[in-house]
Amino acid sequence: MEFIESINWAILAPIVIIQLILMAVAIIDLVKIEKANGPKWVWALVIIFINLLGPIIYFIFGRRS
Amino acid sequence: MPVVSITNLKKRFQDQEVIKGLDFQLSEGKCIALLGANGAGKTTTLKMLAGLMKPDSGSIVFEGGEKADFRRLIGYLPQFPVFYEWMTGKEFLEYAGRLAGLPKATARNRAEELFELTGISDAKNRRIGKYSGGMKQRLGIAQAIIHRPKLVMLDEPVSALDPFGRREVLELMDKLKKETAILFSTHILNDAEEICDEILFLHNGELVESGTLAGLRTKHQQAKIDLAFKENTLQYAEELSLLQPFSSMKLDGEYASFLVEDIEYARELFLTEIMKRNLPLVKFEISRTRLEDVFMKVVQK
Amino acid sequence: MNQWMTLFKKEMLEMSRNFKWIWVPLTFIMIAVKEPLTLYYMPQIIDSLGGLPEGAVIELPVPSAGEALAASLSQFNTFGVLIIVLITMGTIAGERKSGVAGLILVKPVSYAWFVTAKWASSMILIWFSYFLSYFLSWYYVGVLFKFISFTDFLQSFFVNGIWLTLIITVVILFNTFMKSPGAVGFISIGIIVILSLLSSSLPHLLEWSPALLSAYANAFIMGSNFPDELLPSIIVSVFMITLSLLASIAIFKRRELA
Repeated sequence: MEFIESINWAILAPIVIIQLILMAVAIIDLVKIEKANGPKWVWALVIIFINLLGPIIYFIFGRRS
Repeated sequence: MPVVSITNLKKRFQDQEVIKGLDFQLSEGKCIALLGANGAGKTTTLKMLAGLMKPDSGSIVFEGGEKADFRRLIGYLPQFPVFYEWMTGKEFLEYAGRLAGLPKATARNRAEELFELTGISDAKNRRIGKYSGGMKQRLGIAQAIIHRPKLVMLDEPVSALDPFGRREVLELMDKLKKETAILFSTHILNDAEEICDEILFLHNGELVESGTLAGLRTKHQQAKIDLAFKENTLQYAEELSLLQPFSSMKLDGEYASFLVEDIEYARELFLTEIMKRNLPLVKFEISRTRLEDVFMKVVQK
Repeated sequence: MNQWMTLFKKEMLEMSRNFKWIWVPLTFIMIAVKEPLTLYYMPQIIDSLGGLPEGAVIELPVPSAGEALAASLSQFNTFGVLIIVLITMGTIAGERKSGVAGLILVKPVSYAWFVTAKWASSMILIWFSYFLSYFLSWYYVGVLFKFISFTDFLQSFFVNGIWLTLIITVVILFNTFMKSPGAVGFISIGIIVILSLLSSSLPHLLEWSPALLSAYANAFIMGSNFPDELLPSIIVSVFMITLSLLASIAIFKRRELA
């Protein structure tokens, strides 16, 4: 537990926020988009549960250009 | 004055010669149908005219195209038009207008005008991704004529549409005739007859027939007499055919068809003979061969 | 120039419609800032994973500020390059594959402007993302370790940026003669990897190679000086960028578009 306590959250907060923004934008896009490259619910799982990379993978491979 | 002159146009894909030397000219303000079966080379021809494909040999000369970019003079709609689906119809049309060299305000006004003409004003602020097939086709025609080209080329503009959408697009093309020359490809003679006065008939990469529809009719259509008897149709027909050795006879199911040169003479002859022998006639019909049959014959050769 | 702006604005609009203006900078920030953070918290991370076995003594040297920033810089050359290739590989090829290029290029559009508008918009997106993320990483390093001089930061930023520019340009080049975005991406990555590997394994033969620019920037930020070969490398890079761009236009003009 000391690890958690020793972290300076002011430093880490921006990273967490960025991750959350990415996730939110990806989800909004997934909802709005006509058709994704595969089933939408799978992409939703990818975006939410794959840490860090999920939204990026969605933006690169999930949107049908 | 021809808008474009094509001489000895050839194109091959790998070892297959798709276009085997086309020669024709298109005049200003005419509506011409490029007719032919699938695989006859219609799309390839149009793509070469639009500059999207390079011919192996031959020349395509646009009137005024030597001095300026010939693409100013033409509008083109591919068989399966694809747009930027993320744009609205209005954005796309204005973008096309700007690329064609129209000033901003002109592009906007012209887009507005074309939405009216094509009847998709209601959808102009919607994303193109949400358009139906017929709407996309009409947007495609609108973008093709936004810069008032001298020649518009439409590749199978109605083939993919349902009867309703087809009707609308054909009517739109009819209106368009007043503005510009139209060259459109189709495999359906009916569509060609409906709005065009001239055709180019393409078969296996060669121009097998061309000219006005009226001219083609007088050239190719033949008078035809269909006969049927209560019984022994074949036997009677054969006996009758001996009377007129020049005509060709064909047995078509229950009745016999005669292609004749002189319709007046043949009618007189047949009827007199039938009356004389009191044959049990049940059908006697005089008609003309359809243009479609003429083309079928060419294709099947 | 009017037409160039029309083309360019369309690219910019597209990038905001498909959220590239949001996710590309944010992704760059994540990959850049992650490095100084993990380096800084490394002892705690090891601890929290159960710590070191009894008796094992591993001296974890405290990384220097330069090392931490260099770690970010090398992220741009791996993960960053991958993202650059992935987002640029379809910019022209994709439009040709879908067929929309056929509709656009039968309009009297200049091929040179079409290609350069694509190139310029990719450049702006990537340089913006790259600057923002590298700057934040520099700031984090300053807070966590020690502030590195801003001019040093800028120098390494530009030197490495030239290499990234070459990559963007090469991807655009392959875009003009292939129709499949996948193939464009694959070949571009292949060329970049080969060039990097060759340059790093034969540095004495290829010391002017653009692929060494990132290594030069890396060494520089860790405290050493730029070598004499820096200038020739930059010149070779700029030359290759110009050549690729000209070749892209020339090839694109001659291609059959449908």
